[in-house]
Amino acid sequence: MAEKTRLFGLETEYGIQVDDVDDMDVVVESMELIRCYLHENFVARWDYERENPRLDMRGFEVDQLRNDKDETEHLQRDRERKIPLKELKSDLIIQNGARLYNDHTHPEYSTPECWSLFDLLEQDRAGERILFHCAQQRTATRQGGTVRLYKNNTDFEGHSYGCHENFLIRRELPFQEVIDALLPFVVTRQIFAGAGKVGVEQDRRAQKKVFYQISQRADFFETIASVDTMQRRPLVNTRDEPHADAERYRRLHLIFGDANMSEHITALKVGTTVLVLDMMEAGVLPQWSLQDPVAALKEVSHDSSYQWPVALADGSHTSALEIQRRYLDKGRAFAAGRDAETDWVLQQWGDMLDHLGRDPMGLVGTCDWVTKKWLLEAFAKSEGLDWEKADDRAWLQSQDLEYHNIDPEEGLYLLLESQGQVQRLIEDAAIVQAMVQPPQGTRAWFRGRCIAKFGAAVGAINWDSIEIEVGGRMEVIDLKACVDADTANYYNQVLEEVQSVEELINRLPPERR
Amino acid sequence: MFPENVFQYRDRAPRPVKPSDSGDDPVEEGPQRPKVERPDSGDILKRMRKVDPNQARRYRQRTGQ
Repeated sequence: MAEKTRLFGLETEYGIQVDDVDDMDVVVESMELIRCYLHENFVARWDYERENPRLDMRGFEVDQLRNDKDETEHLQRDRERKIPLKELKSDLIIQNGARLYNDHTHPEYSTPECWSLFDLLEQDRAGERILFHCAQQRTATRQGGTVRLYKNNTDFEGHSYGCHENFLIRRELPFQEVIDALLPFVVTRQIFAGAGKVGVEQDRRAQKKVFYQISQRADFFETIASVDTMQRRPLVNTRDEPHADAERYRRLHLIFGDANMSEHITALKVGTTVLVLDMMEAGVLPQWSLQDPVAALKEVSHDSSYQWPVALADGSHTSALEIQRRYLDKGRAFAAGRDAETDWVLQQWGDMLDHLGRDPMGLVGTCDWVTKKWLLEAFAKSEGLDWEKADDRAWLQSQDLEYHNIDPEEGLYLLLESQGQVQRLIEDAAIVQAMVQPPQGTRAWFRGRCIAKFGAAVGAINWDSIEIEVGGRMEVIDLKACVDADTANYYNQVLEEVQSVEELINRLPPERR
Repeated sequence: MFPENVFQYRDRAPRPVKPSDSGDDPVEEGPQRPKVERPDSGDILKRMRKVDPNQARRYRQRTGQ
């Protein structure tokens, strides 16, 4: 596949805490934090009518989505507040085309759709900065307490939240084939993409012998495929909301990955997945049948030998590293030389796997789980901490959490970054720009620039549509076709040239209104 | 909207497309991996000692997606 043929994006739910207060209302905190983005009063514009998270790609609709016991009780209390859902979510589309909102009490930043890994990195980092600014604003306006945000995936007590990856894929491949094709990659990608975690959750037996694992999320997955995201989480999510022509496309919504602080790992995580999807659509992916993919995900994460054995369905064994090497070899044969970004992914992927096979600790400053492990071991040694003692382990969990603190004055990863001690791929100036500028050549550009140029006229908005007021009536601009680069460029050109909403509507193709 | 005086709109930063002098990366295009020596742990350990040992115990979240 050439450049600009697959859109992708990241949605990251952040953890939120207010220190120095006795009783934090996390519903109100998350809602108010999001609204700190605005200078004026919040107006609910997100169009929820176009969303249906119960539709399954395998051709059916479930009656309801699952929640765990804790969350079921919380939701009952939320309903008693009698705050409309739109107010609770405080959904915003902001001028860089991203979505900012309160997702189940987690401030969430969904990047705009990107064609390029480095656009995605800029947008993902922009989300950190935007949310940190909101946290500072909220701290300044609330009566006491300091609001802190964490780009991680767990509270170490069984409550997880996600960093979801979205990829536009073709619809013609039966979804069961998509699931089967992706499982070995899903199970093994964590050997470089994991963010690391002190301790184990959801497994009392493993808790007694595993004190550090490479993934934050692995403990929370219980099934191979389902439409659920909050309980009995699946390795492959089957939610069917393409936000594009549903006859031609699917939006692959992967929820198994960790939130990464490392730019290098974020780029490699997404870039290798794009390449695997390209190979899947071309029918050239290497094939494995794993004995138990859900168990393998946890076993790989928990394995402190870093040999990462994986059991195959025929009774034999391979390793996560070997599986990743085979994907890489196939990727080189399939796509080497097609464009600079792919070549970067192939080179860095190979480099990464070589280091993981030789000495993972050589990846300090590059790989999140390795950098975190190095920090924790150094700290444990300096303080005489014992990983097997509960109090010492709690302190190490506090350090684990602090690795993901997005305050640049406090967060451990960001401190290393400020000292030039981790690998960077993008410049701070580009991140600042991405906070207000959408990625070029995308429908996110149209969305963000439309908000900037004609925001007062915008009514309901969603990823694939904008309702806009013109001459006293509401017109809907349908953006589904703008997942095509040429169509997006045409729409964006029109938007830049027009002086009024009426001119915009008149110049867009009639079939798209 | 977001306070634009916090930052300035700039021309798009150029993509890093020229090879760096990292030496061991033969690919001629795309960003290279600069050599990052093993970080110095001194300053970071000082920072880590300031972390409240009970921060994680207080950190309770609701289940997300």
